[in-house]
Amino acid sequence: MPKPVSTTAASGTPPATGVRPHLIYLAIGFPPAAKSCAYRMRETANQFCRLGWDVTVVTICEEAWEREFGLDHTLSEGVDPRIRVVELPLVREDLETNIRAFSEARTLDPKGWLAGLRKREKKLFPEPAFGGWRPTLEEALLSVHQEHRADLLLTTCAPYVNLAATWRLWQEHRVPYAVDFRDGWSVDVIGGGEAFTRDSEAGRWESRVLEQALAVWCVNDPIAQFYRDRYPALADRVQVVRNGFDEDSIPARVRTPDLDAGLTLGYLGSVNFPPAFLEAVLTGWRIARQENSLLARSRFEVRGHIGAGAAREANRHMELLRAAEADGVSFGGPVPKAALAQTYGSWDALVLMLVGGRYVTSGKVYEFVATGLPVVSAHDVNHDASTVLAGHPLWIPAVGLAPRRLADSFGEAARLVAKITEAERAEARAHAQRFTRGAQLAPAVAHLADLVGRGGTRPTSPSDHRALTGDSRP
Amino acid sequence: MTHVLMIAVAPPAEQTILVDALKRFRGKGATVHLACFFETGTLEIEPGLAELHTFAVDTAADPRFRRTLARSQPARRPWLHARRSHWIREHARRADLMVAVDAKAINTVWELAQRNTRADAISGLAPALRALTARVEAAGATANGGLGRQVRSSTSIGVRGVRRFVVDTGRSTLLNASGTKVMKLPAGAWLWSKAVAAPRIPDNLRSKLALRVHTSMVRAGQASIAIRTSAAAASRIRDAQTRARLLADEALAELDLGRVPTELRSAVTAQLSNADAWATKNPKRAVDALASAFGLLTHRVLHLDQVRSPLLIEPDAFLAPVRTSTAARRLSAPRGRSTIAAPPPTDRPQRLLLVVPDVDESVEELRRHCAELSNVELRLLGVDAAPDSRAMARDSKSIMEEILTRTSPFGVRVEDWIRPHLDWADTVLVDRCLSTAALVTLHDPGATRIIVRLNGPELFELWPHLVDFSRVDTLVLPSVHLREPAQAVLPWLAEAEAPRIEVLGDPLHLRPYDRPKSDDARFTLGLVGFNAVTRDPRWAIEVLRILRKQDQRYRLMLVGTGLSAKTSAAAKRYNDQLRKDYAELEPAGALLRQGPTDDLPQTLTGIGVILDSSVYQGFPRSLVLGAASGAVPVARDWPAFAGRSEGAAALLPAEWVAATPQQAAERVLAVTATEERWREAGREAAGHTYATWDWPVVRPEYDRLLGRTGH
Repeated sequence: MPKPVSTTAASGTPPATGVRPHLIYLAIGFPPAAKSCAYRMRETANQFCRLGWDVTVVTICEEAWEREFGLDHTLSEGVDPRIRVVELPLVREDLETNIRAFSEARTLDPKGWLAGLRKREKKLFPEPAFGGWRPTLEEALLSVHQEHRADLLLTTCAPYVNLAATWRLWQEHRVPYAVDFRDGWSVDVIGGGEAFTRDSEAGRWESRVLEQALAVWCVNDPIAQFYRDRYPALADRVQVVRNGFDEDSIPARVRTPDLDAGLTLGYLGSVNFPPAFLEAVLTGWRIARQENSLLARSRFEVRGHIGAGAAREANRHMELLRAAEADGVSFGGPVPKAALAQTYGSWDALVLMLVGGRYVTSGKVYEFVATGLPVVSAHDVNHDASTVLAGHPLWIPAVGLAPRRLADSFGEAARLVAKITEAERAEARAHAQRFTRGAQLAPAVAHLADLVGRGGTRPTSPSDHRALTGDSRP
Repeated sequence: MTHVLMIAVAPPAEQTILVDALKRFRGKGATVHLACFFETGTLEIEPGLAELHTFAVDTAADPRFRRTLARSQPARRPWLHARRSHWIREHARRADLMVAVDAKAINTVWELAQRNTRADAISGLAPALRALTARVEAAGATANGGLGRQVRSSTSIGVRGVRRFVVDTGRSTLLNASGTKVMKLPAGAWLWSKAVAAPRIPDNLRSKLALRVHTSMVRAGQASIAIRTSAAAASRIRDAQTRARLLADEALAELDLGRVPTELRSAVTAQLSNADAWATKNPKRAVDALASAFGLLTHRVLHLDQVRSPLLIEPDAFLAPVRTSTAARRLSAPRGRSTIAAPPPTDRPQRLLLVVPDVDESVEELRRHCAELSNVELRLLGVDAAPDSRAMARDSKSIMEEILTRTSPFGVRVEDWIRPHLDWADTVLVDRCLSTAALVTLHDPGATRIIVRLNGPELFELWPHLVDFSRVDTLVLPSVHLREPAQAVLPWLAEAEAPRIEVLGDPLHLRPYDRPKSDDARFTLGLVGFNAVTRDPRWAIEVLRILRKQDQRYRLMLVGTGLSAKTSAAAKRYNDQLRKDYAELEPAGALLRQGPTDDLPQTLTGIGVILDSSVYQGFPRSLVLGAASGAVPVARDWPAFAGRSEGAAALLPAEWVAATPQQAAERVLAVTATEERWREAGREAAGHTYATWDWPVVRPEYDRLLGRTGH
């Protein structure tokens, strides 16, 4: 089994000795990964730490994130120094860019090689790209538990292969666990409906692991309801734990629009939607500039990650953005966590580009609403982000993705910015206050800690589990 | 100084990204050499950013290299070219960093990395930039690799050579075993027909194998077994998309062999069924299936490289799958317009926008004539008018997607380009029913009147199926005989919202052709324009043969660019026969190939009888020009329209038309029997021509056309 590449406790203090309760937090995407989920993970770990727990975070090595969306070390600065981080030497082979690491067969038949890799991964766990991590994750959790007996395992997905390691620790050591499922697994958040059936291999894994969970967290009501409907026995354990925003990401003040110089609209987040989606928004923006003199002298800045591996910042999205430079569009790359407030503070309005529909809320919507800036929605009309935005006084609601209608939204945003008042901004910020990340997570973390403290209502013997699931092993 | 060698096999789709990356490499002090497996002329890169080099070897003069390439895996072929390039070897030796710009270049960089063990070898521009940064920051550190890596690489190169020989031999053996020679043997064909239908073969593998076997069987002349084998394999394939792709690939393979596919209808139907299934859920997939289906239906082998187009013989049967497909019908379904076309203005000249696919000589003539029309202000709009308009005009898939979805950014780009012109014009005249007609009718034209001229050959193409005829006010045909086939191919033309159909000949300026004939013209037959099989020059040669049996003074002059044998195997077969004819007739002085001419009126002075041997014609322009020159016209009764109520005789005087080469020869013999008779017949024909098609005669018809209002 590959050994953890590093074990760190930022303050240099040794791991706790068992006097305090111990949480193993399986959180792939923990800082310094430059991923949106890192904020939620950081806050979760910090809250357990503040409640007096020893926290060991299990994640993957920095090299893995360098291959994907990169690193943001400013994110790590906000991690409680008492938290121990175990990094596993797991990387996505398909994102390898060092050609010396390629076999000749891979260079000659990349598709065939990838198909073979996916097949091997799925043999271990039914999840492409990550299934092959199962043995390392399982051994890592057992090893961490052996070193420092855990009172609770909190597993956050994706990747869903984490469920296999969670199950193994439960099977062998009866460590109670909860699953922060965020966007869920069997729910197709983009297309809507079911991603796989209950009797599929993935379905069997999900139902088996969830049924033993102390709690199952989801990021919004539609996903939570999906799981309550799918697993009625779990209904009272499924909780909505929204993402929220970090207050240090929000500018204290935003700038006063300079109508003579033109506005700056911004988008901040991963550019993970289809190229046609981006093209529709950019086309809408171009039409709006032709029709609105204020927008004609305005700019649209896109910040965030584009592409991964060899295709990083070298894909169709980049081409579209470059082609739109004549329309005042620019791409400025990712923004470190520490520079978020400054970036939001340099914009006059925000463009919220989101894929998916009623099952997707996204993390960035909370930050967007908290800035006090007008928000132009560019997503499906029936999108859960709208539930967060509803009541926001500076919101231009979603109109779908027809460029003509998006152009009208941009025009509306320009008019809104031109006559915006400080009272309206204050009202917008007030609207967002209930969505601070800490406020969203605190009740759930406290509840989970209480459950473990009381011993919970979970089954206590393997036979109990078999009775519930009808199977002891996936 | 860091030396960077980049390898690009495919032209970059995102050229700006490459240029941007090269600037960053330069900013870090790197010297970049970019080796391309394509013509570097397509790249717009400043000389200071990178030294460019093309490494594709011309294989024409090296059959051994061609065989090596044919035996090798496709992904390895760029490397086989690259290793012959001194330029690449030199720069690879010096490189500190080698970069695969695209996925197809990875194997080449991998091979180079086995030889230069010191350099980093990276896939992708952004990761390469990171590697360069790391290398610059670690400057002075020990070079990567060392003796161990060098020894391992050298050994590996030798071992891989042996292994590749074994693998390639195995692949060759499989290819030979399923090749044409084997399929000619009953046992071989039987064995493979069973093998591709065996159970438990994955769909993808079965599909590839079935295509190979099918093509070999067709090549071997075992068409009926090929059909059965294909059907058996297809019935085993569960995935509808894979099945449709197999049928389409098989049909394309047959077309590549110059044959009309045996299962063309099944292939088209399967693709259109897929398109129907995807039309609302995934329009892009639906468009791919539609493009494949129409690609088969409009393939040139069916219509241009053989003398009998199934579209003209049985249009209803040929297009039946299109008629029953909801997705295909949606492409040309009438979407209507918000208002009828406004009448021409009375207080100012009428603004006429002439929209043309390409500005060529015939368009220039049309433009000149339109400029002469009464009270007209003319503008010309070609597909090169805007920076990306030519790309838009070629992008049939995006046009289809816009028609299906009505919300694509492509539709907005087209409207951005076309709308200002529509707003300016009172009337738009679209010359030829091609992509421009589809683009002009993609959006509601408002009160602007739309006129489309359909010349005839467009009926074999995809474009008329993408035109919204409910937005066209008038459809102009050059001859009445096209009305019936046009309505058969485009049933919307018979609907209530159909445009008015007008018959107007080509606007021709004939006076320059009125020149005295040379003395030896009487026995010289001429055929002007024979660059397609459908011009059927061999029919004219047959006429010549019959004549020469009577009188050796007859000869045939072929004017224009000859047939291209490269368009398809069917065209090549025809051309092979034609070349035999040349070899037989040219030495005797019976046949003269004139080549293209800049001065057709002068060339026609040497031609006494002008022939039209075409299988079909929209308007026989060359025949009419020849007749205007005083040559006696003899036109084949276009067989594509034979059996219809209207054919060549609907346009031309009956005595000009001959059903067979024998009849044509008889007419030639009759009209050239004496000098006087010949000159008299020529004068009569010229008289009819000037009275019917000369621009001063036709012009009032065009004036009347532009004077009319909409529906």
